[in-house]
Amino acid sequence: MRRRSLTPGLYAVLVLSALLMVGPFLWALSTSFKTASDVFASPPEWIPDPPTLDNYRDVFLKLPFLRFLLNSVVVAVSVVLLNVVFGTAAAYAFAKLRFPGRDAIFFALLLTLMVPFQTNLIPLYKIMVELHELSPLIGADTYFGLIAPSAIQVFGIFLMRQFLRSIPDELLESARVDGASEFRILRSIVFPLAAPGMATLAIFTFLGAWNDLLWPFIVTSSDQMRTLPVGLALLARRNTVDWGETMAGTILAAGPMILVFLILQRRFIEGLTAGAVKDVG
Amino acid sequence: MGRVRRYAMGYVLIAPALLAAVVFLFLPMVVSAYWSFTEFNGIRPPRWVGLDNYLDLFGNPRFLRSLQNTVFFVTFGMGIGPVLGLASALLLNRARFLQGLFRTAYFLPVMTSLTVVGTIWKMMLNEQGLLNSLLGFFALPGHRWLTDPTTALPSVVAASIWQGFGFETVVFLAALQSIPREYYDAAKVDGAAAGALLRHITLPALRPTIVFVYVIGIIGSFQVFDQVFVMTNGGPVQATRTLVFHLYDRFNSQDLGQASAVAYVLLAILATLSYVQIRLSERGA
Repeated sequence: MRRRSLTPGLYAVLVLSALLMVGPFLWALSTSFKTASDVFASPPEWIPDPPTLDNYRDVFLKLPFLRFLLNSVVVAVSVVLLNVVFGTAAAYAFAKLRFPGRDAIFFALLLTLMVPFQTNLIPLYKIMVELHELSPLIGADTYFGLIAPSAIQVFGIFLMRQFLRSIPDELLESARVDGASEFRILRSIVFPLAAPGMATLAIFTFLGAWNDLLWPFIVTSSDQMRTLPVGLALLARRNTVDWGETMAGTILAAGPMILVFLILQRRFIEGLTAGAVKDVG
Repeated sequence: MGRVRRYAMGYVLIAPALLAAVVFLFLPMVVSAYWSFTEFNGIRPPRWVGLDNYLDLFGNPRFLRSLQNTVFFVTFGMGIGPVLGLASALLLNRARFLQGLFRTAYFLPVMTSLTVVGTIWKMMLNEQGLLNSLLGFFALPGHRWLTDPTTALPSVVAASIWQGFGFETVVFLAALQSIPREYYDAAKVDGAAAGALLRHITLPALRPTIVFVYVIGIIGSFQVFDQVFVMTNGGPVQATRTLVFHLYDRFNSQDLGQASAVAYVLLAILATLSYVQIRLSERGA
């Protein structure tokens, strides 16, 4: 009875907060179709009148946003694949194989979890500049430079090691008795069993790479190598911001991820909350 | 023979990770530590100056301001954000109808970068922007949110809380739904009131999740940069300069010795927090 009487008030609060969360995106979308004189029209115009596509045309003319999109996809997908394959492989070795120095090496890696990326930022940049001198294919202002520092993340090895520890040793032993090589065990037993953990790792590393700003901003210098957040920051940081154009850039930067989320949201939410809720109960 | 091959396999599997860690983690860490004791402009060789960079930092008003701003950001962001998230999860947990739709709506900002969020908020907080228009509709005065030094940092905090709200809500909601119903049924049979249920069942069961949200949140908040970079560029008059922004600014001014010292102050803060967190979780276990 009590619950029922709460319902209208409850839904009023929920709807209001949902509007607060979605409203700004709708406002950005609306602004991206507005003429310059309508951007700050008073009272605010939610439906652009007249609507225009000029902002999108201008933003493509000024900055190669399709190239930014391509770069963001290449970087994020590479970071995910490298972490999933090499991170899981290393985690398997740390969790299930015995070799001298194993625990000491793992502990040394674990300690680096406390080190924020920004501590390494400047030497990392100098390393990339030096590497670029060696070959134009690597180092600063290349895909290598964008990808390499986050290609194999320690938190991923840690996450996957926790996950792989639950695989029974007997399963691996019996495969070995049957003459399977370690690579085969990795491919046929470990990777399939680790799939849910890999999904969580993939989501975290994807979002991290897709949303990153500081490193791509510093390590790239040509428009051809910028990622979406960097391209957007270039628009938003100008002294006189053209808001129609900048919102067109915002929609281009945020849209693909929002679409992917709307399609795969159950997986995203489960993957992101897995680490937080596991210990409860 | 078998054992030696098994050893070799272990090394082969960790080799790529180890190589990456040495080149992109351990080497930069050591170099950064060394530079923090030198005067270095990135071109001429570094000159050893001992502790001077660290001593300079603690007499440098811009650095002290960045430290103060960062603490403000962490305190208010973490003081308000997770509490709102928990409250909204408790409400959402009671909503049988359309729960998934609300959850999706709250989660949208989590899926977008802080760059996107900062850009949208910068427009809404513009002097002629949406927020002032809405205030005007209720006959309230508008404000220069991002160009007035007293409101710039709170505005950045608000945008950040907004971005993290959905993550906190969804994590708390998942945790709430994993609490066995029987706990509540048994307590209700004993005549427990709603407040008692919250205090004696819900909050204790959520404890690990609350710890998780705060650990992740505090560590992330100390590294705040993107939204400041986009919304205010550290201004007006240092009002939103944060630790990482100060680091970036020193890097940009070719003052790599000072920048490296800031990097190590940040490391010291986060390492201390991690240590405290580990000790706390040991005690709780």
